[in-house]
Amino acid sequence: MKTLLALICVSSVLGAIAAEKSEIPSCCAPAPAALGFKAACCVEEKPAAPLTDKSLYQLNSAWTNDAGGSVALTTLRGRPVLIAMFFASCEYACPVLVNDLKRLEAALPEDVRGNVQLVLVTFDTKRDTPPALRAFRERMELGPQWTLLTSTPSAVQELAMLLGVKFKQDSRGQFAHSNLITVLNAEGEIVHQHAGLQGDVSTAAKVVAQLPR
Amino acid sequence: MAPTLLRSSSLRSFRRMLAAAVVWGGLLVFTSARSEVAAPVGMTFIPAGTYEPQLRSKDEPDKVPVEAFWLDARPVTNAEFLEFVRTHPQWQRSKVSALFADRGYLADWAGDLELGEAASAAAPVVRVSWFAARAFAQAEGKRLPTTAEWERAAAAGFTQPDGASEAGFSAYVLSWLSRPGIARLPAAGSGRPNVFGARDLHGLVWEWVDDFNTAMTTGESRADTGLERNLFCGAGAAGARNLTDYPAFMRAGLRSSVRANYCVPNLGFRCAQDLAPASENSP
Repeated sequence: MKTLLALICVSSVLGAIAAEKSEIPSCCAPAPAALGFKAACCVEEKPAAPLTDKSLYQLNSAWTNDAGGSVALTTLRGRPVLIAMFFASCEYACPVLVNDLKRLEAALPEDVRGNVQLVLVTFDTKRDTPPALRAFRERMELGPQWTLLTSTPSAVQELAMLLGVKFKQDSRGQFAHSNLITVLNAEGEIVHQHAGLQGDVSTAAKVVAQLPR
Repeated sequence: MAPTLLRSSSLRSFRRMLAAAVVWGGLLVFTSARSEVAAPVGMTFIPAGTYEPQLRSKDEPDKVPVEAFWLDARPVTNAEFLEFVRTHPQWQRSKVSALFADRGYLADWAGDLELGEAASAAAPVVRVSWFAARAFAQAEGKRLPTTAEWERAAAAGFTQPDGASEAGFSAYVLSWLSRPGIARLPAAGSGRPNVFGARDLHGLVWEWVDDFNTAMTTGESRADTGLERNLFCGAGAAGARNLTDYPAFMRAGLRSSVRANYCVPNLGFRCAQDLAPASENSP
């Protein structure tokens, strides 16, 4: 019992130190994992359930949005996502792909529409800097429900692998790529994929509308 | 080197020792002129060259330049992969996420940390996903070779840098494809080295490449429309460079049919590494 109390003391002290150091206004700052439990005040906070085995959010790579902010994929968790990969200087397929996403969004029942996040991830990690992505957002008139992301080539490749998106850069710097819209549920699992351009989006819309809320 | 030489040859004539030293010295100068930096352990130097894609779109060049790089001299073995999963438990069979490896993952092993009968220690590891292969490479401070790099290395014959012009080489490569798969794979590295010193690029297992998903043909011609039609106006085969290079076709076909979490019997991998900045002046 004494040992246990001592351990609790140590852990909360260490936890407090860690919280101070990391300047995160939370008492849940990492306590030494070896001790096996967190500071007592953490219990009240609802701990996030572990990600499912099929959740894309298991990718722990770091991403940057068009505002220049750093984003982890887990921040998308909790609401359905429509995700597609593109590059901003694409002249043909990508504007059509974005338009397909808009059509899909418009085909959703109104109460579902407000809950859905639309995500565009660029292949072009070199040219699609946050300002370039921001310019694309403006040019395509994308609302606040849209998230535009870039990362390292390696992270982009891993995400493409998980989505089943094939892409290849040609000698002129253009990308040949799959035209694929993926529906993720709130947990980040793939529930539907819509391939091709200018197709019928009603099936995908139905899938999104039927996702549990 | 000198003291050993002295001891071993002190019983023989001083002249012979001197001759040996001269030969050794000459050899040292010769090798250091060839590459200033020693190869990383188990890796072999693949000089800069070109890769001729088997399938390409009309905008792609016939030849893609490939910079010099280090390549594992043989595929990664079960024993090496076992060591990796020991130190990286998230890659053990019972713990791996379905997202990163399908149910075939290391299925021929006896357990999480046990190889068993079907998977000998020296045999190449197979039934690993692209994600797993990549994680292994990263843990080693290496990476997977690109398609261009792998094909560049594999195009070399046993005696000629260009295997296609070496008598019997193409037939050798083809003969593997005509043999039925064998239940128990032999040791990795037991094949004859090619002119760059890389073994078993042909004849043992298929190998993952880092950018396998750039192979644009798909099994279903209806899926991903727009993509294939844009890339390959007409049929994919019409873009083929060399219709007689059947093995290259097979590899391209395999790459376009797998996904990154697939774990396939006979699909293993080896690692590559960039040349260190200091050795960039190597031949």
